[in-house]
Amino acid sequence: MNLPQIDASSLPDLETLTGVFGSLAHPGQALLSDDTIVILMVFVYECLK
Amino acid sequence: MELHPALQALRSDDAPQRRAQGGLYAELDAWRADAGIAGLESELAKLARGAALETLPGLSALFSPDDPSAAALADGFVARFCAAVGRDPLGQVPLRHQLDDVTAAVMLARAGDAALLLCAVDGAALARQSAPLSVSFAPSQTFERVLAGSARITRVSRSAIVELVQAGESLTPGMVSHRDGAREALVLRSVTGTLVTLKLHLRAKAGAVTCEYRLADGALLHQAAANPRDSRLELAAALLGRMGRRDAAPMLAAMAEEAGGAGLRWQALRECLGLDTAAGFAALCAIAARPDDPLAAPAGALRAQLIETYPALAGIAPCPA
Repeated sequence: MNLPQIDASSLPDLETLTGVFGSLAHPGQALLSDDTIVILMVFVYECLK
Repeated sequence: MELHPALQALRSDDAPQRRAQGGLYAELDAWRADAGIAGLESELAKLARGAALETLPGLSALFSPDDPSAAALADGFVARFCAAVGRDPLGQVPLRHQLDDVTAAVMLARAGDAALLLCAVDGAALARQSAPLSVSFAPSQTFERVLAGSARITRVSRSAIVELVQAGESLTPGMVSHRDGAREALVLRSVTGTLVTLKLHLRAKAGAVTCEYRLADGALLHQAAANPRDSRLELAAALLGRMGRRDAAPMLAAMAEEAGGAGLRWQALRECLGLDTAAGFAALCAIAARPDDPLAAPAGALRAQLIETYPALAGIAPCPA
């Protein structure tokens, strides 16, 4: 059977979108209360080992 | 641009940097041995696998109000690494850490989704910040012990109907608290001196979301994956879609049908439909037919929309249940 090719970008998103880990509308203080900041950090020291 | 002579010198010879880093790694090994970090990490691994804090002697001592081990752990760490960085200012402390105008945090130990953090909040810098507009609820468990400094906080609780209840409280040295981050968040209003806390975080399993609400009226401003693995998988699914990797369609279909975060599953489904119409449409129909699946309604709507746009799909659609 010949099926159509669907363009993924034309498909709808869910009503409430889920942002990537660590994303916030107003970063400010929210980061003080969980471990997001420490997970997102750049591993500078690992490049220097 | 001005470069400090010490940094300029590193351009032609990075040996001093390597020596400094070697010295810090030696300090790390010595500190880990002194502070019994391997033992704490093995307890963190058990905590991440579901053990209760009370059954883990090293960690529970750190969060017992009268036990001196938390102060000893923090003092030992600060004394050793402040001295080491003082000797070698260009070295990087080889533990995950973060520093901005207000907050400093370092991860002392971690295993799986459980981590032990030492945090400091500078009261003067906090006072210069504008008042927070939002509060976020991350589905994680937090045990917190105040080691130094004091603070005025607002404890914000979220009830089932998303109504934010705010209550003023104080944090003082020696206080130990436990918080379920899905229901309760703290907002720091002011800090006297520097607030130093030892925190034990147990992060949510895959699939959960962090929700951010406006403090003024409790409106949902944003939601995000609460576990970095979900975001990594979502990015991988998008990449496979853009690369046209049709061979990945069965795996994306399986991801879409698994129990997991709705956002991640929906993105996997979209990419699967783009790569392989038959595989994607079969997954879409399977999800639409599950009455207890949160994606059943949007999947049913998308199936109807696709059949209308591409009548050929009606031929492979199973009868709706």
